[in-house]
Amino acid sequence: MLRRYLLKRLVVAIPSLIIASLIVFTLPRLLPGDAVQLMLEEKAYGKDVDDLRHKLGLDRPIYIQYFAWVGNVLTGNLGESLWTKRTVTEELGMRLPITLLLGGLAICFAIVIAIPIGVLSAVRADTMRDYVARSAAIIGLSVPSFWIATLVIVLPAIWWGWTPHLGFTEFSKSPGAHVLQFILPALILGIASAAGIMRLTRAMLLEVLRQDYVRTAWAKGLREGVVVLKHSLKNALIPVVTILGIQLAQIFSGTVIIESIFQLPGMGRFLFDAILQRDYPVIQGINLLVVSIIVLMNLLVDLLYAVLDPRIRYS
Amino acid sequence: MGHDLSRRDLLKAGGGAFAAAAIGPHLGLHGAIGQTPKRGGTISLRLWDPPHFDPHLTISYKTNILYTFTHSRLLKYKAGPGVSPGSFILEGDLAESWSQPNETTYIFKLRKGVRWHAKPPVNGRELTADDVKYTFDRFVSEKGNAYRSMMAALDKVEVVDKYTVKMTLKEPYVWFLDMVANPMALAIIAREAVEKLGDLKKPEAVIGTGPWMLDGYRPNVGLTFVRNPSYFVPGLPYIDKVEVTVDEDNASRMAAFIAGKYDLGWEASGTINRVDWVQIKDTLKQRRPKLQSLEFASNQMSHIYMRTDKPPFNDVRVRRAISLAFNRQGLLDAVAEGVGVLNPAVPAALKDWAIPVDQLGEGAQYYKFDPARAKKLLAEASYANGFPATLSYATYGSTIQVDSVQLLLKYLKDIGIDAKPIQQEYGAYISTTFYGKYESMAFGPQTPFLDPDNYLFGPYMPNELKNQSHVNDPVLGDLMIRQRRTADVAKRREVLHEIQRHAANQQYYVYAPSGVYIGVWDGALKNYVPNLGYDWGGRLLAAWLDR
Repeated sequence: MLRRYLLKRLVVAIPSLIIASLIVFTLPRLLPGDAVQLMLEEKAYGKDVDDLRHKLGLDRPIYIQYFAWVGNVLTGNLGESLWTKRTVTEELGMRLPITLLLGGLAICFAIVIAIPIGVLSAVRADTMRDYVARSAAIIGLSVPSFWIATLVIVLPAIWWGWTPHLGFTEFSKSPGAHVLQFILPALILGIASAAGIMRLTRAMLLEVLRQDYVRTAWAKGLREGVVVLKHSLKNALIPVVTILGIQLAQIFSGTVIIESIFQLPGMGRFLFDAILQRDYPVIQGINLLVVSIIVLMNLLVDLLYAVLDPRIRYS
Repeated sequence: MGHDLSRRDLLKAGGGAFAAAAIGPHLGLHGAIGQTPKRGGTISLRLWDPPHFDPHLTISYKTNILYTFTHSRLLKYKAGPGVSPGSFILEGDLAESWSQPNETTYIFKLRKGVRWHAKPPVNGRELTADDVKYTFDRFVSEKGNAYRSMMAALDKVEVVDKYTVKMTLKEPYVWFLDMVANPMALAIIAREAVEKLGDLKKPEAVIGTGPWMLDGYRPNVGLTFVRNPSYFVPGLPYIDKVEVTVDEDNASRMAAFIAGKYDLGWEASGTINRVDWVQIKDTLKQRRPKLQSLEFASNQMSHIYMRTDKPPFNDVRVRRAISLAFNRQGLLDAVAEGVGVLNPAVPAALKDWAIPVDQLGEGAQYYKFDPARAKKLLAEASYANGFPATLSYATYGSTIQVDSVQLLLKYLKDIGIDAKPIQQEYGAYISTTFYGKYESMAFGPQTPFLDPDNYLFGPYMPNELKNQSHVNDPVLGDLMIRQRRTADVAKRREVLHEIQRHAANQQYYVYAPSGVYIGVWDGALKNYVPNLGYDWGGRLLAAWLDR
């Protein structure tokens, strides 16, 4: 049954990916100014623009460019950067692990912070602890992560002439320093997501705690920990897991700024530069990859439902 | 003729040296004078990640700046405490000497024994005249080279012998040597690197004859340069290693600078933006008490341009009214802590060529802020109630640019010109407005060149791509050609002053003021003085670290 469901979902994902490919291919080309104009900027001379456009293959009809690109993608070739001539696959190979590690750690921090606080807030609803937690969540939602990151970097420099680690240490040079450099940016990135997850966890758990079966559990004389963690939390987490899939997309967009602030050479910065330079193959490659990851993660989230609630069946 | 500078210029340059010596004690230059330079050490800089490494396939300053560490040019601009910022004195780099037998011929004698970096495929062979010819030929023939208009006057390059190159121009062009010396363009490259790799885009193609060699490139992270032991000037450079960090976030750069992680200011030419400087200077006094600083006018100049080929901007009274409505000091107060310089058509920063605004003759009056007179002029031009307009611009990712546009809109509104802002994304702006394709008015910066010709010829000559205001003024057209053909520096300066006076009177472009840069460097760095332009490597060539 699960295999059939999985197959069905994968088949449904194909049109999503095709539509996404059309969007990521078309939208950058609808922006005024192309890579050639940006390469030459104000210095275009004679027939330079036309000549360079021809050299880069940008003078072909757009549908031919699209099919050529899709054909290459199906063979695992995402194309070549118009600017650097390096292959997009090679560029992504360097950058994707950095963004994945940053995003993955951010999600982990978000969960580790949000769920315990959300549970505590629900269990101790309308107490001082709940008010503090809810206020903190509102602040977390309201304050942009780049602002927190800026303060975290600038204030220690002004006060003590010290900054957190800025720059990038490769894994091969120092595995410990490599992982450590992600902790602070991931924590900052995770805070905004944590605030949302915490509020949802609290709301869902409060609802579950009012259910009859929970009252029965209390009546049986079970300890608070068992009632909350074993009987209530699992059911309350289903919508939370759903929102995690959405948070992933949010975290990916957040990496663009956080990577810049902490000087991490990830995909976010790469995408940002590519958009400014109208480097179409790079924009297409990154977006297609991100779309694929998000589609896959949402599929995983759907599959997790059954683990959390055995009553859910796939058909 | 060896140089295009007169005795007067040389004396003036000498005066600059005296001036630098006079201000030296305040700049910490005294630390360098009389001390024996020390070899060694690492200097840490914040620079930019290049789009790629082929200087003929990009006009990006990010690539050009890096080439000043690794490559040499035929000529360069003198650097060091003897040169005051804004002055550009030619001297030989790979060329030991040069001469100009007639108006259109230049002969360069190359240094002997100059070796390429010991990297494959060039492997440290000797540089010859063929390399110079190859570089210039590629520069003018490469279709992706947007800077090749800088060599538009060049007709042919001939190898006379192993160490002599002859260049012939199509017509007299007195700025030719400045173009050759310009760090934006003419770094001498190795043929083998292009032939082996197809182009110079990859880091392994960065093989030059410059003072440092590229030792490592980490995309989006940084670069490392190490001293070239075979550099052609014995003993130089003094600094062993240059560590470059790519840092695209201003808060992070500021924090890193306060913490002592960068030895030079993190913005253009090793400066710090004045708004940032005001915020952190007290902290820096505590954290980095030996830091040195020097202020000099910026050559980054923005202007209002307009469709002078059609009403209402074809009426000089309307253009003058716009200039009178422009509160230049108000703009400086809002975006530059009140500090800046007024610009004629040549930025005031190029002090050898710009004319002071109060000497602009009739045109000087239009630099005054006088909205009442502006309204009167509009009324005389039959626009007593003003008129609607548009103002196209790009933000350039700069809050200063956005604030400037907002103020401009207010100033225009105050005299009845109701300009609708049209904000364009950078790519859209460059491909349309920048090339003169806009509705009525636009506002934006110009490329910060080091010579006056690039600020004047394109913007004022009919049919030039950069003639953004659609100027067609025979007087200016004639003056433009004349300044390009006047070899005598004093006479050329007079022609340039005449151009600036005429331009100020006509107000085809309404020039915004420029800020004043704050060059900042670590106290341990000796024999260094900042200047405008991309030549970071040149300015650090004879500098040394006293740590």
